[in-house]
Amino acid sequence: MCPLQMVMQVVLVWFGPNKMGGGFRVLHLVRPFLSFLPEVQSADRKVPFREKVIYTVISLFIFLVCSQLPLYGIHSTTGADPFYWMRVILASNRGTVMELGITPIVTSGLVMQLLAGSKIIEVDNNVREDRALLNGAQKLLGILIAIGEAVAYVLSGMYGSVGQLGVGNAILIIIQLCFAGIIVICLDELLQKGYGLGSGISLFIATNICENIIWKAFSPTTINSGRGAEFEGAVIALFHLLITRTDKVRALREAFYRQNLPNVTNLLATVLIFLIVIYFQGFRVVLPVRSKNARGQQGSYPIKLFYTSNMPIILQSALVSNLYFISQVLEDNLLYRKYSGNFLVNLLGTWKESEYSGGQFVPVGGIAYYITAPSSLADMAANPFHALFYLVFMLSACALFSKTWIEVSGSSARDVAKQLKEQQMVMPGHREANLQKELNRYIPTAAAFGGMCIGALTVLADFMGAIGSGTGILLAVTIIYQYFETFEKERASELGFFGF
Amino acid sequence: MALNGGAPPRGSAAAAASMRRRRTTSGGTGASGGAAGSMLQFYTDDAPGLKISPNVVLIMSIGFIAFVAVLHVMGKLYFVRTQ
Repeated sequence: MCPLQMVMQVVLVWFGPNKMGGGFRVLHLVRPFLSFLPEVQSADRKVPFREKVIYTVISLFIFLVCSQLPLYGIHSTTGADPFYWMRVILASNRGTVMELGITPIVTSGLVMQLLAGSKIIEVDNNVREDRALLNGAQKLLGILIAIGEAVAYVLSGMYGSVGQLGVGNAILIIIQLCFAGIIVICLDELLQKGYGLGSGISLFIATNICENIIWKAFSPTTINSGRGAEFEGAVIALFHLLITRTDKVRALREAFYRQNLPNVTNLLATVLIFLIVIYFQGFRVVLPVRSKNARGQQGSYPIKLFYTSNMPIILQSALVSNLYFISQVLEDNLLYRKYSGNFLVNLLGTWKESEYSGGQFVPVGGIAYYITAPSSLADMAANPFHALFYLVFMLSACALFSKTWIEVSGSSARDVAKQLKEQQMVMPGHREANLQKELNRYIPTAAAFGGMCIGALTVLADFMGAIGSGTGILLAVTIIYQYFETFEKERASELGFFGF
Repeated sequence: MALNGGAPPRGSAAAAASMRRRRTTSGGTGASGGAAGSMLQFYTDDAPGLKISPNVVLIMSIGFIAFVAVLHVMGKLYFVRTQ
């Protein structure tokens, strides 16, 4: 994933719009493969709400089973995990069939969106064939990325060297990973084609994060940390400590403030962030619009504060995890012997094994350290500059990504004005030509400020020590909120249907 | 969402109905689809390809899970005996 994105960024910078292509269209390269790509039939009838729920639940069940089922044939999964920081947004689980998670599909989607958005490949959205080709290209790229990553994982010795595994097992692992990738693509398509609710990707991300939070709260695993066996789950530990300890006040303090395991404060912080984000989701500016033809018909165009929703944090975490990955690889493998004291490598980041979670590396210096959240309030007090830098980085990155995203995804003031014009809508009291200017007053501000708010909430969640990192929580809440909206809309349309 | 889809022909009953709906659910989700939706929604169109029905996808996935599980069982039984 990472090298690909980097290559793509380089391509974007060097070639710029309209330099490739010309008479030859890159998109047409996909055509021979189109007939081999699996394609879920569109629903030819309106799928009832109940059926949609059933399809969604079954897909989710398949995903959950896959993310617990260990890969067959692996030797070991010990050693540092360079993808640890990405796993939360990529819904992947180490050593299981879902090792790749949604990486292939998200990466291919991102690549295609950026290529199309920056006009490197020309897509006319009004031509049916172009859209089909773009979809085909996305899927093909997703499958290719899955194959490439599976081969890279096996060859890099992530599950033990190929010699240890044996060629047969190595091939079996690659097949399992590829097929899992194809299944994720198909499940996502199934949900999006109208058989299910929302999209597979967001469903899987949100489930993964929620599972993590629930586990940290109620995990019955005991861990011996020198003061007797302690439960991992915060709530279970609270009751356990209260019952077994004689000094109840100290037991409470232990349950609320223990450092090495999830504590009750973390859990409360998580709940608080959930509530705050949901409260802010309701903030919007409602612009009145009116139809030119049907007289007296009023409508409204709401511009939300979180105009770009969770995109800024998805992009920001993609950037950060790429940087982590490169920095770790540089420090670990390639340059370790020759350039262990190299200035540039150290500038990028220096890593140390964490005391708490075995095998997990945390950044302790360089850029990687400064863009990582401080681990606790005490850490924040000890390094105020680190906290300040992190805050500034998050806010500016989120605002910037948010502003970029509205251009790339076609939701800028210009595009919205075009959409409204196509639907013969005007704003009362404004001339038609002024529509874009009027929208321009709100949309860029909403995007930048909303992105900044998202960034600020992420930082707040990190500082309060919410379970599963600020990024994860923000993603989960925004996705759940989107689902809630979809749910309401489906229900309303169903009721309306019965009402007629 | 209604603003993002294709507009119904002007003056038709459908247009009026969609207007009515939009008015009653004002403060709905007009802008939400534009930004976040577009990256996470790839496959909304029909494209030529190997057509499979949704049930086939589910059966295929469950079959895959069963295949990996059987591999584990076979691995345990077979390799323990030979080694």
